[in-house]
Amino acid sequence: MLVLFETAAGYAIFKVLDESKLQQVDSLYKEFETPEKANKVLKLKHFEKFQDTTEALAAATALVEGKIGKSLKKVLKKVVAKEAHEQLAISDAKLGGVIKEKLDLSCVHSPAVAELMRCIRGQMESLITGLPPREISAMSLGLAHSLSRYKLKFSPDKVDTMIVQAISLLDDLDKELNNYIMRCREWYGWHFPELGKIITDNLAYCKTVNKIGDRTNVAGSDLSDILPEEIEAEVKLAAEISMGTEVSEQDIGNIRHLCDQVIEISDYRIQLYDYLKNRMMAIAPNLTVMVGELVGARLISHAGSLLNLAKHPASTVQILGAEKALFRALKTRKDTPKYGLIYHASLVGQTTAKNKGKISRMLAAKASLAIRYDALGEDTNAEMGVENRAKLEARLRQLEEKGIRRISGTGKAMAKADKYQHKSEVKMYDPSGDSTIPSTSKKRKFEEVEEEEEAEEPVTPVVKLKKPKKESVAEEQEAEAAETPKKKKKKKDKKADDETEEPKEEEEAVAVTESTEKKKKKKKKKAKEEEEDDD
Amino acid sequence: PKYIIPDCFSGFSPRGDRGGRGGRGGRGGFGDRGRGGFRGGRGGGFKSPDGGFRGRGGGRGGPRGRGGRGAGRGGFGAGKKVLVEPHRHEGVFICRGKEDALVTKNMVVGESVYGEKRMSVEEGETKIEYRAWNPFRSKLAAAILGGIDQIHIKPGAKVMYLGAASGTTVSHVSDIVGPDGLVYAVEFSHRSGRDLLNVAKKRTNIIPIIEDARHPHKYRMLVGMVDVIFADVAQPDQTRIVALNAHNFLKNGGHFVISIKANCIDSTAAPEAVFASEVKKMSAENMKPQEQLTLEPYERDHAVVVAVASPPITYTCE
Repeated sequence: MLVLFETAAGYAIFKVLDESKLQQVDSLYKEFETPEKANKVLKLKHFEKFQDTTEALAAATALVEGKIGKSLKKVLKKVVAKEAHEQLAISDAKLGGVIKEKLDLSCVHSPAVAELMRCIRGQMESLITGLPPREISAMSLGLAHSLSRYKLKFSPDKVDTMIVQAISLLDDLDKELNNYIMRCREWYGWHFPELGKIITDNLAYCKTVNKIGDRTNVAGSDLSDILPEEIEAEVKLAAEISMGTEVSEQDIGNIRHLCDQVIEISDYRIQLYDYLKNRMMAIAPNLTVMVGELVGARLISHAGSLLNLAKHPASTVQILGAEKALFRALKTRKDTPKYGLIYHASLVGQTTAKNKGKISRMLAAKASLAIRYDALGEDTNAEMGVENRAKLEARLRQLEEKGIRRISGTGKAMAKADKYQHKSEVKMYDPSGDSTIPSTSKKRKFEEVEEEEEAEEPVTPVVKLKKPKKESVAEEQEAEAAETPKKKKKKKDKKADDETEEPKEEEEAVAVTESTEKKKKKKKKKAKEEEEDDD
Repeated sequence: PKYIIPDCFSGFSPRGDRGGRGGRGGRGGFGDRGRGGFRGGRGGGFKSPDGGFRGRGGGRGGPRGRGGRGAGRGGFGAGKKVLVEPHRHEGVFICRGKEDALVTKNMVVGESVYGEKRMSVEEGETKIEYRAWNPFRSKLAAAILGGIDQIHIKPGAKVMYLGAASGTTVSHVSDIVGPDGLVYAVEFSHRSGRDLLNVAKKRTNIIPIIEDARHPHKYRMLVGMVDVIFADVAQPDQTRIVALNAHNFLKNGGHFVISIKANCIDSTAAPEAVFASEVKKMSAENMKPQEQLTLEPYERDHAVVVAVASPPITYTCE
């Protein structure tokens, strides 16, 4: 009978030398008490070592799932297939079934086999010769770690140590860069002091110095790709009349080296920033969307890790970075600071000073949710962050509008308009509706109409002055057009027109009286305006 | 006994330790239930670069007149002399000061696993660091302080730890067994598994296994024979789980240390009845119980049972 025994280092196939011993299950352990006795019962037929950790990991995962891995298949085909008549003892019944199905090898799993496995495990080092025990333990440790990582879907992308280190490096680089640039300016200023005052941008300065070296070369060199034209002209001018000292080639060489370093570091800084942005987006997309990469990275670095940051309450996230001010205020019983690192987020930056505190609190609350989602959630998408940001922006706008409303006068005026105002209304009696008999003669009516028309003509121009709208102009033009043909027309027509106009004019008269009676109320104002428009 | 001057006394790292500070509020246990010293020590021990942190302890209790080492009272304020002597159990020590504490020798010097206190000891030229072991958080520590006779976990032993959780007690077991021993830590939960993995990264004698302990054949590739099985799984069928694992991996004459939570096995029955029934189940599975101990005053309705594998192990649990 053959025995298949899996270890972290590889597969071991044993041959049972004395099968009768297997019958006495209870005393089997006695046979394995010492290495020599164990070797009498079993012999190592073949040991298939795993080539590397990936192979071991694949074998282990296959084992967990109860399937046949590639390496196991290979071993079985190579060794066991030759002795197909022999049974194969295995520790897992399910695996036995699969082996029988796929490779047509008869497998056995019984209490005796289980006990046998126990005993083998107890004497593993002595039975598997050619494998030092340290190697087995090292392999099992490595395999356990890889297996666990595989199970937990451990992704190296999501290691937040990178962020912490990257942001610290960014700060270090900035400091170093500043130092080097100051040194460069000071050093070169000895030779060409005016250049420092002309070129304010540090990187441009270093590139220029790198290019020209000694200031005598300025006239001949072309600085158009580094500097804009006017500055280039200034530089060339200043080079002629410079009051700096002469320096040797060696000195210029050293300064040039320094400038090279500065340029290199600047380039690397840009690269590092890109890298940081990528990592932040991969590790904490929601936080990045809400506060930006730099602020997010600083928060994570300040807390130590993303998980630590997630454990902080939102109020802590709000004042993270302002601990000195916080505890000072707590000790002296003064007002605590309203914002820490979160002050540099774009949302807080774009509000007025009055609202920064409010926005900082709101942003900290939502950002805290985003952080927890990133640190502990299973998915990695930025939906939640985008939603929250939209909410915050809406609230920001609301805050600002509320502020604007309060400040401007119309609000107050509108508020005042709502107060009760006593309006003394004196209604005049309108006698026109008294009798149904057409009251006056047509002639008189015509005269009256004429008078009223004349009276209204000045009114309409006044209206025109007040509200130069096209409509009223159009209406007036129409009215005038109507009036002139009326005048030209015969009396009858005029009368007819007058008649049609009468009710209209009556309405207008009523409207005029009504308008004079009514006071300045909003709606009636509008109605008046409408009526005037209609006129 | 040697006279020692403990050195730095702070938690994990000044930055990251806010988690630890949070625990101080009551979950830290130590401070609130008689071992008052630690609260003071913790507040005092923060020689951190962000000076503000010192005040934070002060800020909570209401601002005190002094900042920083506001609480030098009681227990282990940094700079206090304490005495470390070995416990009856091998690999475990007792730290004597104003308050006594159970400690283990730290295998990873300078690091705190769950924010616990560390104390450094000078022995001539070498510096040895010890970590405090909290009996309110660890059943094994509670059992030791309760006076258990034998834990069977000693330097050089191979221990199988079922129910490793986030690795807080596992780290102490790892300290006890030392670099020659091995701890196979089995934990099924992924969340805790992540923390366990982090602990195992630093300590090479811990082998993390993220698998269900109900199926020991799934991790048979990673495990050799062990001397002791420690089980803290809190499952109703925990005796069967332990028996399965013992059958596969426990050497003949090996020992069990099993923690029983009465509420978990049967919440309606009386705790004593639950413990008795569990012990009977264990005897049926060929585990001979040797001693039983309740974990008062650290835990309620908990007991620890120490048993030995009665050889030979028959296969009632297939």
